[in-house]
Amino acid sequence: MMRFKNRTFLACALFGLALASCKSEDPVIENDEEVITDVTLRFTELNSSGTSVGDPFEFKASDPQGIELGTPTIESVTLSKGKSYKMEIILFNSIAGEDITAEVQEEADEHQFFFLGTAFVGSPVLTYSYNDQGGELIGLNGTVMVSQSPGFNNANMRIILRHDLDKNYPGATNPNFENFAQAGGETDLDITFPLVLE
Amino acid sequence: MENNDPIEGAYIWIVESATGAVSDENGNFIVKNLCAGNYSLTIQYLGHKEIKDTLTLNSNNFNKTYRLEEESLDLSGVEIHGHKLAVQTTTAVTALYGDALLEARGENLGESLKRISGVTTFSTGNSISKPVIHGMHSNRIMILNNGIRLEGQQWGAEHAPEIDPFVADEITVIKGAETVRYGPEAMGGVILVNPAPLPTKKNPKTNIYLTGASNGRSGNISVSHANGSDKIKGLGYQVQASAKRAGNIHSPDYYQGNTGLSELNFSGSLGYSSTKLGIEGYYSYFNTTLGILRDSHTGNLDDLINIIKNGRPFSDPGFTYEIINPKQVVSHHLAKLKSHYHLSDSWKLNFQYGFQANNRQEFDKRRGDLNAKPSLDLELFTNTLDLFVDHSLKNEWSGSFGINAIQQANSNVPGTGVTPLIPNYDMLNLGIYAIEKYSKGPLEVEGGLRFDTRSVSTARYVQSELQTADLSYNNFSAFIGTLYQVSPKITFNSNLGTAWRPPNVNELFSEGLHHGAAAVEIGDADLNSEKSIKWVNEIEYDGTKTHLEITGYANHIKDYIYLNPTGDTFVSLRGTFNVYEYLQANAFFYGVDFSASYEFSNRLNGYAKGSIIRAKNTEEDNYFPFIPSDRMDWGLAFKFGSLTSTKTNKLTLSNMLVARQKREPDFDLAPAPPAYALFNLGYQRQLEIGKDKLNLGLQVQNLFNTSYKEYMNRFRYFTDDMGRNILLKINYQF
Repeated sequence: MMRFKNRTFLACALFGLALASCKSEDPVIENDEEVITDVTLRFTELNSSGTSVGDPFEFKASDPQGIELGTPTIESVTLSKGKSYKMEIILFNSIAGEDITAEVQEEADEHQFFFLGTAFVGSPVLTYSYNDQGGELIGLNGTVMVSQSPGFNNANMRIILRHDLDKNYPGATNPNFENFAQAGGETDLDITFPLVLE
Repeated sequence: MENNDPIEGAYIWIVESATGAVSDENGNFIVKNLCAGNYSLTIQYLGHKEIKDTLTLNSNNFNKTYRLEEESLDLSGVEIHGHKLAVQTTTAVTALYGDALLEARGENLGESLKRISGVTTFSTGNSISKPVIHGMHSNRIMILNNGIRLEGQQWGAEHAPEIDPFVADEITVIKGAETVRYGPEAMGGVILVNPAPLPTKKNPKTNIYLTGASNGRSGNISVSHANGSDKIKGLGYQVQASAKRAGNIHSPDYYQGNTGLSELNFSGSLGYSSTKLGIEGYYSYFNTTLGILRDSHTGNLDDLINIIKNGRPFSDPGFTYEIINPKQVVSHHLAKLKSHYHLSDSWKLNFQYGFQANNRQEFDKRRGDLNAKPSLDLELFTNTLDLFVDHSLKNEWSGSFGINAIQQANSNVPGTGVTPLIPNYDMLNLGIYAIEKYSKGPLEVEGGLRFDTRSVSTARYVQSELQTADLSYNNFSAFIGTLYQVSPKITFNSNLGTAWRPPNVNELFSEGLHHGAAAVEIGDADLNSEKSIKWVNEIEYDGTKTHLEITGYANHIKDYIYLNPTGDTFVSLRGTFNVYEYLQANAFFYGVDFSASYEFSNRLNGYAKGSIIRAKNTEEDNYFPFIPSDRMDWGLAFKFGSLTSTKTNKLTLSNMLVARQKREPDFDLAPAPPAYALFNLGYQRQLEIGKDKLNLGLQVQNLFNTSYKEYMNRFRYFTDDMGRNILLKINYQF
């Protein structure tokens, strides 16, 4: 029951009558362990048999100061028409120096990415399918197919990470589920990457 | 002790002419100007049996001597119908005690006080409710736990008062500005939570309360025991403990996920009193774990908009007692030492020291191991010292003057993994005051003056840089009040008082994300103290069948501090958030409370009570958010059984009418919910088993399981309010 720092508690309780010895603690720098400051999309081209070819390339969204103070910088994603890619999402907290990808993987049953924006819904130019280890639908790993002849060359990739959702909610197996909010939970990430098709 | 000594100060009352007299030092009294006829006479003197006599007046002069018979002052077993207020003031005061408090047992402080007209709640779901007096709450009102000002983290909208109403034998609400008597912040009013006086001789009394409720499947037990010593005269003690457990609350159409609570409290006191000296030690411990509706914890503005559009939580996890994150774990220790010494017949010296330790931990839904760490972990220590002299002189003057010191240390407990919302700080407040009252016959006039000085020093890290601030605030406050007994049935009182409230640390330094509101809140270190002047008038009519109380008030506040939406949004990788800032503007609050009852017959009684509040930002000419809408509660009570019996046996049907808040602020996340009407049913019965008393209560709240949303509930954005609730309340006194 005694959660108080014993030293302060005693100083305040016993010497309180003097109204002098009871002082607040010195402040401590607190690292924001919860925040995701860097989100990296890593693409690797796949050949027709689904094997990786060529070197992976990355696009990044970052917000080094966390939620309250920073201004995020988001890179433009450039992909080639008609090609398929392996897409990995890498999450990092640069404030606490922590890899968040592993934490999300550990809590696979509580997390899921959804892929929306003009790139994925309406007349989609990208087709996404989950391909996570263990078969759980998370979105840390997946494949993206770029349309052979897309209706437009510029689009938005809106990537949403939901936490504590009901993964069995009807429709939630769809990576482009627009009513993701219906499945409950809250948003940990909501980033819109500009997409350019070449 | 029979003798022929004259009695001074006995009250003599002539019923027909409604005139009276008080006997002088020789025991004589004169009643003049009566016409011939029959008169009923009543004579009362404390500690003596009341005399009732009828006499026929024929001649111009009539003399008669009455002998008063002494009566033991042991009041046990006597039904007390009269009631002495916990505080002697000329401002509007209402108290909850006896049967009314019995009906409220098991409810939290805010809910209990809703029974008083003019008092509403500002709540966060069904388990967190803060009392609102005349539209003001949190740091603008004060709560006294057995005489000590409760110092928790009251600044937060979702921070409920850390107090167990079971400690109280009586809860009193003062509706005036009482800064002079109680210190800064008592701007809207004061709530006094007072235990029963300690016994001074051997007379063991035990009270057991058991409450069960269908909604939330809650159970509540409280046991108290009081006794005095037969060896040492004047020595007495009281111990009390209570426990509460509740699961998910049910709205008419669904369960609200993670809305359970568990609570464990105890208190004890030991006292000694003699003719000259009184000394009392008191300790209370309050500990609660409160589940917070899962869906109210939103990730960003989109989440918030989505759930508001949905009108109800997305999840319906069914019933469980389990409490998961988000949740609050709060504990509060309060220890006090109080003493008084009668310097003479008319002068009394008082000393009171209080120590409080408050720990508030708030857990959010986080990732992995972080779930076990609180996101907010605050430790607050408060010392209060009061030293004052009371006098009650032989002539018409009485009053008190004294000094008061409050010292506070607030620390963020490291290890949360979240940048703290408010800095660590130390605060010292010193006050000096004097209050004097003049009473003569039906008139009382009272006035008071106080000076306070407060210093606050804060420290925190912003982007790895130590940032400190030293602030100071000084203020004079004053009040004047009067009470006039117009006739035996009509009393009028009027009180004009100034009050002040230095800005709170959160208002000065907040800089962080508020998950429930998807908002970034930004403080302003340059805020001034709020200063107010409140005028309260009350008229009370106490007839044989009719009882009526009307309170009207006006409160002007200079530099009222409020959280204003800037209209800007903040974009991050997590999504978008609204930005709010603390601003100041002049405010004007005014309104009326009323409470009336009428006896239709000796079995049927009707009552009505209600309140109207208007609050405006007079600079911007717009409305403040979260001001209670117009409301009224009316009902009929039917008495069963023998008419002469003093034991309660009644059925009450009541109807609560709440209007839509049409005076909305320019910006709100969702429009004010529609008006609603609720019906409640209650049956209260008292039985005697030998010398013991058994009180049984059965209540049905929200009889028709109506779906509704209350404007003053912050969770109206996310969910309907509570559905039907059937409660069984058992109290055994022996």
